[in-house]
Amino acid sequence: MAIPSARESLTLAVNNRFLPNLEYLLQGSILDTAVEHLMHRLKGLCDNVDTSPETFHDLEVCMSLRQPNSPQPLLLRVRRALGRDAPFQMRYLGQPEVDMRRPTLVRSCMDCACTNGILDFLSEMGFRLEFEYIAKGYMFRKGRMKITVSKLIKIVPGKQQDMANEPISQSYIVELSVVAPTGQENVGEEMRLFAEQLKPLVQLEKIDYKRLGNLP
Amino acid sequence: MSNSVNISVETTCENQIREIAYDGTELYQPPPTLSESLAKCAARIDFSKTSLEDLKKEEKSAAAAEDDNKDVNQFQESLWPWDAVRNKLKDAYTEICVLSDVISIAKDKRYLVLDPLLEDGDDTKPIVQVYSRKKAISQAAQVLLSGAERLRNAHSEQRSRNISDFHIELLRLRQNWRLKKVSNGAIIGDLSYRTAGSKFGMSGTFEVTKAEDALDEEGAGNSANASTPSSSSSNNGMQPKASSALRVIVPAELQGVAYIKVITQKDQEDLCTAQVNLMGHGPNITAQVGVWQKSLEFAQNVLFCKELFAQLAREAIQLQAPIPHVVIGNQIRATLLPNIQLIISLCHSTSFDSSQPAPINDHDHVLEHSLHQLLREVHYKNSHHPFPHPASAPLGPSKKRMLAGPTAADREALLDMTKTQTILEQIIAQAQHIFMRKRTQYVLDTLARDVKDPQIVSHWNAMNSPTMSCVKINIVTHGYDAIGRTSLVIHVKERSLKCICRDGRVMKLSYEPQELRDLILCQINSHQISCLVSLARYMAWTVLSNSNHLGIGKVEPLGNASSCLLASPNSDRMIAVQIRCDPQIDVKVYIARSPRQDFFPSPLVPEKFWENLGGNFKEVRFDKIEGKSFLNKMEFLMASLTSNTA
Repeated sequence: MAIPSARESLTLAVNNRFLPNLEYLLQGSILDTAVEHLMHRLKGLCDNVDTSPETFHDLEVCMSLRQPNSPQPLLLRVRRALGRDAPFQMRYLGQPEVDMRRPTLVRSCMDCACTNGILDFLSEMGFRLEFEYIAKGYMFRKGRMKITVSKLIKIVPGKQQDMANEPISQSYIVELSVVAPTGQENVGEEMRLFAEQLKPLVQLEKIDYKRLGNLP
Repeated sequence: MSNSVNISVETTCENQIREIAYDGTELYQPPPTLSESLAKCAARIDFSKTSLEDLKKEEKSAAAAEDDNKDVNQFQESLWPWDAVRNKLKDAYTEICVLSDVISIAKDKRYLVLDPLLEDGDDTKPIVQVYSRKKAISQAAQVLLSGAERLRNAHSEQRSRNISDFHIELLRLRQNWRLKKVSNGAIIGDLSYRTAGSKFGMSGTFEVTKAEDALDEEGAGNSANASTPSSSSSNNGMQPKASSALRVIVPAELQGVAYIKVITQKDQEDLCTAQVNLMGHGPNITAQVGVWQKSLEFAQNVLFCKELFAQLAREAIQLQAPIPHVVIGNQIRATLLPNIQLIISLCHSTSFDSSQPAPINDHDHVLEHSLHQLLREVHYKNSHHPFPHPASAPLGPSKKRMLAGPTAADREALLDMTKTQTILEQIIAQAQHIFMRKRTQYVLDTLARDVKDPQIVSHWNAMNSPTMSCVKINIVTHGYDAIGRTSLVIHVKERSLKCICRDGRVMKLSYEPQELRDLILCQINSHQISCLVSLARYMAWTVLSNSNHLGIGKVEPLGNASSCLLASPNSDRMIAVQIRCDPQIDVKVYIARSPRQDFFPSPLVPEKFWENLGGNFKEVRFDKIEGKSFLNKMEFLMASLTSNTA
């Protein structure tokens, strides 16, 4: 039995609509004072009421590589869980698809788990540090939807683990995301219906990144 | 003398700059002439306003409006500064003329008459308001009174009927079960395990209705008492005393009582029996909440048993066992060990039979609990998936699979991750282990009972897993514990035993009980000899030799004899001990003395000193020697043979 190579398996998985490579995303924010209400609501709406919400404390680093052919640099995000023994996760996010009919933001997304030496490897390849931040918060799930309520914390360069790092703002960012293979049509509708249930506490909507201005 | 300073007050006299030339000179706007200022002031007079206060208000708003008006005025200036004044005076003159004309016509009383207006005072009299308010309040009072009347009626009815309210019952029902209201007003409930992670196809919906119609039916059916519904409950002694205001209708296939019977059978006789029954688990709230709680619990139990049995049957068909499992009707037969079968059957009785026999006394709680727990574990795994860490990782893969990438797991490791043990395999393993454990206990107990000389003490571990137990066996001779003790540990698994001896030997035994028995007997054998060796040292006897496997005599199925050769402190006596263990422990003791008594010098061997070569060994009637145990007897023997040196 011929064992296919990794590249063949990957293309087979993508073509058979088996590999999840599209991220559907809705984002919103809520003030610190109101986040407790949101947590109670989410606890009631989401799966597994008996286990308390799962906390996470992650450090995300975005590395970029200048490409000779295109003006846009290639961005790769590396995320690690602080205080827990878990492999690093590397993520590639493509440009969002311009489709006004879809209720959510859709962009191509590839996730991969990697060993601890990934940052050194990337910097040897020529990637440079673009930005980094710490995200700390709670995670919920409902079916295949993942809801994160996180606080973004600025990092003083050189002091990633310092607990006195201050948050960027007095609010939490709420994200509702689904990673699914291409060809699944009702993901957006499902997400939109769930987002309706969280109004008016938090308005989850698709953010048009181009309108945000001159962010890199 | 006043130090007064002359202060001159003057206006700034600064004029507005009209234009600044290129060389820096400023052209001022000439100040307005007197006629211009008069014209400006006159234009601001508003002839429609007469009182002083209005004028003051106008001044403030005029200052704000002046900027807007300036533009307008700029255009009008080209006309004539007094134009506005002229127009206002003209309008005022027109109005005065009209007024004088009207007054002169009215004075004539021929064409126009002036009549005084009737004073109508307030538009609404206070009395009308009072009447309207009174009417509104009486309507509100009517609504409240009718509501209070209804409540009072219901309350008195409740007290007289002694039946709790439908709504209170519904509240209690809702506290324990999931209910929802459907569009046509009916209340539907769900008693399945779907929210707990079950994927069973059978639906567990039940309907909740008011019980009045049911009670009325019963009342009508009974010709004796057709009047009050409350007395119908006291008619039949069989019915439960507390009738409630609501009734639950469970689907037909879930009615009745069900349980799963697990029997281990050996050649048509029951070895151990277990019944899986969810009743008696959890707090008993049946007494407080009425009949429906019991019927719902029974229905849920039936559903659980059906799901469990369906899962087991499916697995029994799919699994490939060396002796295939048999599924007949509502019974599954699986082979644990040769001649020993595990029979799992689903017993569902739809008629409530009070004469049903109580569960068999030989109840194996472990198997009952295990089956229940195994299915619940499946449910739990279906609903609780591990969360991804860090948060951007994909939802879904287990922790092991997440590590598979970075740790470079190969195909085999990945395939191993997907293999899980089914419920049937697990319960078979547990049943096999229970059986092995019982058998091992039986062997050890009978050996301990039969063999009295060294005592066999077995300590079973209190903590064990469903598929493995450990027992530590100490073989000691009573009174000689300090001299020597043989210990070994036996791990009892599902189909085999593993024995670890003190000297490091590891032996794997199969499920045959005879093997364990033989092992213990061999250990007893070596225990006796080793204790004898130690005892001899205490008694100052010299151990000349000892051996665990002699290799003499006829071939035995159970190893060989072990032996020991001892010499007294004076070296004038020797003891030889031989122990066999086929089929019981068999001890032979021989003694010899040196110098030999029966040496007579002969022409071939003339010298006397040849008598010092040891004499023949004579057997001792060991069973006649005084002593409680082998070691005790040996001690006495050695003591008696030790002679004082002369």
